[in-house]
Amino acid sequence: MSKSICAELQGINVSFGAKTVLSDINLKIAANSITVLVGRSGSGKTTFLRIFNRLNELFHGAVTTGQVIVNIGGKVFDIHNHVLEVEFLRRKVGMVFQNPNVLPSSIYANIAMPLKVVSGVHGSEIENRIESVLRQVQLWDEVKDRLKQPAVSLSGGQQQRLCLARSLSLEPEILLLDEPTASLDFKATLKIEELLIGLRESYSIIAVSHSLTQTFRIANQIIVLKDGKVTSVIDPYEFRDARSYESIFEEIF
Amino acid sequence: MKMLRNIAESSLSIWAWLSTACVVAVLAIYSSFLFVRSYSSLKISLFFGNADPWLAFLGKVPVWDGIWPAVVGTVLLVIMSGIMAIPVGIMAGIYLSEYSSGLFCEIADSAIDLLASIPSIVMGLFGFTLILFLKKTAFPNANVGLLPAAFCLAILSLPYMVKTTKLALGNIDSDRRLTGLTLGFNKLQNIIHVLLPVSSREILNGIILTIGRSAEDTAVILLTGVVANAGIPTRMNDKFEAIPFFIYFTASEHKTVEELDKGFGAAIVLLCVAGLLFVLSKTIGKSVNKSTSV
Repeated sequence: MSKSICAELQGINVSFGAKTVLSDINLKIAANSITVLVGRSGSGKTTFLRIFNRLNELFHGAVTTGQVIVNIGGKVFDIHNHVLEVEFLRRKVGMVFQNPNVLPSSIYANIAMPLKVVSGVHGSEIENRIESVLRQVQLWDEVKDRLKQPAVSLSGGQQQRLCLARSLSLEPEILLLDEPTASLDFKATLKIEELLIGLRESYSIIAVSHSLTQTFRIANQIIVLKDGKVTSVIDPYEFRDARSYESIFEEIF
Repeated sequence: MKMLRNIAESSLSIWAWLSTACVVAVLAIYSSFLFVRSYSSLKISLFFGNADPWLAFLGKVPVWDGIWPAVVGTVLLVIMSGIMAIPVGIMAGIYLSEYSSGLFCEIADSAIDLLASIPSIVMGLFGFTLILFLKKTAFPNANVGLLPAAFCLAILSLPYMVKTTKLALGNIDSDRRLTGLTLGFNKLQNIIHVLLPVSSREILNGIILTIGRSAEDTAVILLTGVVANAGIPTRMNDKFEAIPFFIYFTASEHKTVEELDKGFGAAIVLLCVAGLLFVLSKTIGKSVNKSTSV
């Protein structure tokens, strides 16, 4: 697998009980770029995203077949192979949900607790790591004087950036974002988009988006899902005129 | 048609309002009645009788004519049964919610429902029979007393703890449940650092219910070791006094109005003791919560 690829799916099928959600997916995901999944609701976008951190298997009756190869720390792993612990995989493949899921503790503890629990970071290293990730998501100046306050006191956009910072603190290489701006207002959305474009240089990002305009603003690669199948993979730079944009729009919805 | 619906809607809201008002009114009437009746008896002598309060408090002189031994008895009962029931209840709740599924889970669930529906007098009878059994077999010295009473109260209040813990964990929404796991927590870390702190408020309510259940019960202790006059228990198998039993005993055996008023005084004290224990469990809960979430 070349270095420009962060993950590769080979013959992936995912079903929950008798219901097949994704079938025969073969794809390469580019590294250090933003890949955006679009499709109608129920087309399997969230399930697709959850392949990469093996989250689907936590749900009742889920069966995944096929191979998922990821590139972590310059090494290539089959994620279903037992060489790679699922806990390690989930740290290296971070995830941000549609609704900010901050924990009911302080801003500080939201980042510090997972750091202590899973990566064994201690002492002043924690403070350093917190400051650096909060700067990375441009939240530091807004919260540096109230780190001990409850995280739920932040606005929706700030909470979402805190969740992003929490994932980043665990030093992931791939980021999965499930409609990260769906619950945010216009301004907060733009802020997150701007951040993601900046983060692309250091991380491989796979996102689900409900908005086509957003998709065209941030995507380097667009994957169109329909009824559990990939119907097309689009390079957004090929479509800069209104006509082709519209035709895509029609194809998807 | 529209008017009919409007009438239906407004009568429903009036009904809801009235029902709430009823609950508040009952509580207000009840507590003011209790307070008025007990007012004359609410003084230091209610607790210590003729004994010197300070010496009696320190346990240096016996109290013959006050409820202090009953207060100590109830507090000891609640603490001992809590120590037995709360950890087991929380762990069982965690197991049922997070680890078990299928037939075993269903069987355990119905067993707990069954346990919750056992009348306390039957639980008392069970305790009494158990003591007789132990006396005839392994422990000839077994007798009614503080320890067997607390044990039976623990069994009585256990299902409340299991159920509230199980429900609290079961109510956590799926995204929350996944939070820790997506950060690379294993199952146990997720339970300790995310699920339990998130549901701590409900679990605390379970603890409060458990405490309340042990503090107010009369029937169980009636058959397992409470007596009208025992003084402060000094050993685990001593007979003991308890406030609910004192109230029951005074209500049925009083000879003067003053004596009955003492019973009302004891009722107020029981409410206060239960309240204090709630506050205590809340404080402990908060500090535990802090230590797991930061």
